[in-house]
Amino acid sequence: MRRKGYKYFLAIVLCFVGIHLVQIQIDYRKKLENLESALVLMPGQVAGSLILGGFKGLAADLLWLNMETYWHSGQHYKILPLLQAISWLQPSYILVWTIGGWHMAYNIYAEVKTPEEKQYWYEQGIKFLKKGLSYPFNANKYDIYFELGWTYYHKGKDYPNAVKYLEKAIKYPHPDYVDDVLAHAYEKNGQIDKAIKQWEFVRDNYVGFFDVATRMINDLKTKGKATP
Amino acid sequence: MKKMWLIGLNTFRESIRKKTLYIILIFALIVIGASKLFSFLTAEEELKMIKDVSFSAIEFFGALIAIFASLAAISTEIERRTIYTLLTKPIRRSDFVIGKFFGVSMIIFVNFILATAFFIGLLIFKKSPPNMDVFKTLLLIFFELILIGGITLALGTFTSDAFNIICSFFLYIVGHLTSYGKELVERTENIIVKGLADMLYTLVPNYENFNIRDKIVVGLNVSWGYVGYTIAYGILYMCVALFIALYFFEKREI
Repeated sequence: MRRKGYKYFLAIVLCFVGIHLVQIQIDYRKKLENLESALVLMPGQVAGSLILGGFKGLAADLLWLNMETYWHSGQHYKILPLLQAISWLQPSYILVWTIGGWHMAYNIYAEVKTPEEKQYWYEQGIKFLKKGLSYPFNANKYDIYFELGWTYYHKGKDYPNAVKYLEKAIKYPHPDYVDDVLAHAYEKNGQIDKAIKQWEFVRDNYVGFFDVATRMINDLKTKGKATP
Repeated sequence: MKKMWLIGLNTFRESIRKKTLYIILIFALIVIGASKLFSFLTAEEELKMIKDVSFSAIEFFGALIAIFASLAAISTEIERRTIYTLLTKPIRRSDFVIGKFFGVSMIIFVNFILATAFFIGLLIFKKSPPNMDVFKTLLLIFFELILIGGITLALGTFTSDAFNIICSFFLYIVGHLTSYGKELVERTENIIVKGLADMLYTLVPNYENFNIRDKIVVGLNVSWGYVGYTIAYGILYMCVALFIALYFFEKREI
């Protein structure tokens, strides 16, 4: 019996050696594939992680549902801490960054009165979107680049920055309207040649945009201006 | 092998007679079905929530089933004294323990398949058939459940039921937090603390390895390499649990 006990002990030790080696591989792959749940030492975050353990996604969903309630009752400011919390819990949930940025730069922007306040919330929206981009897994998708490009283009009238981010957005798989907005941004940024080239690309690749793109190319070539 | 299979089959048959497991399964199905209530959200948000809620329900209720099924597997035999009759037959104690593990795994598998089929049906109903990543997540959840069952079974060979439940739940929670703990300890300069933490990191089952659902629901890709290593981790840990169970059960005076 004692000999058998040693055998089991040896087998367990060997298994643990294997476990240790496999765990090293798993940790390496977690880093490689951005699968780590990063521990950000911010107030509430550690405690939240400890309590929620493996159910962080579910917690983010519950907060999202709260956000919906506040949204429909017009309590726009109450949404802000929820956005922060969801983005801590699940930073790879790209919708929280795009909706959060839009919420600040558009909804709260519309609610405040003074130009200083409006500028503040526009900048907060941009800052939130850029924070979303700081996570490597979000930087490989078009979503936040487009939202940044659009906010700069439409809300900030900051065309150089709009072009910068929209050009990044089209590097990743994206819907057709992203190319359309980029063409407009080129024109507003004074890059007429690039705008014509972009509209030609839109005309040749997206059937739904054929008429618009043809008209835009024609207007740009004849009047040097197409976007109202 | 035949003896193990018969013990496993008997364990499975006994367990499916228990109402507790059905109740847990029904709860799981209700929770998965309830995720359809999020239809007021946009399609993308709704799909994320359906997946989040369903994966969590399959895992959490599956863990409950794994713990309760494994808990009863050996202790019931001892309580009812059926084990005395059984061990007088030409059955080795190792056959008995491994057979019980097979039986518990079958219960976990059947419950898992039922909950998964319901979830996949819901996805198809929502016109979003599951992709390979969904199956990878489910595969890892299944291995996690089997591991939970194996550990509870091992604990059952040398502890009381009450202690086993507490210990299994404690390990379930701690197993999901070891990665965070390691990250915290990496910031310390003390070599002894670091060494102890590394040892604990290997000894405590790291259930967080199996948790890829938070990444999958937001569209991140997980490689087959990662899935393979995690399954290997699960199998090795199951071997540890079985060796512990065999050692203590063979030592036990019955």
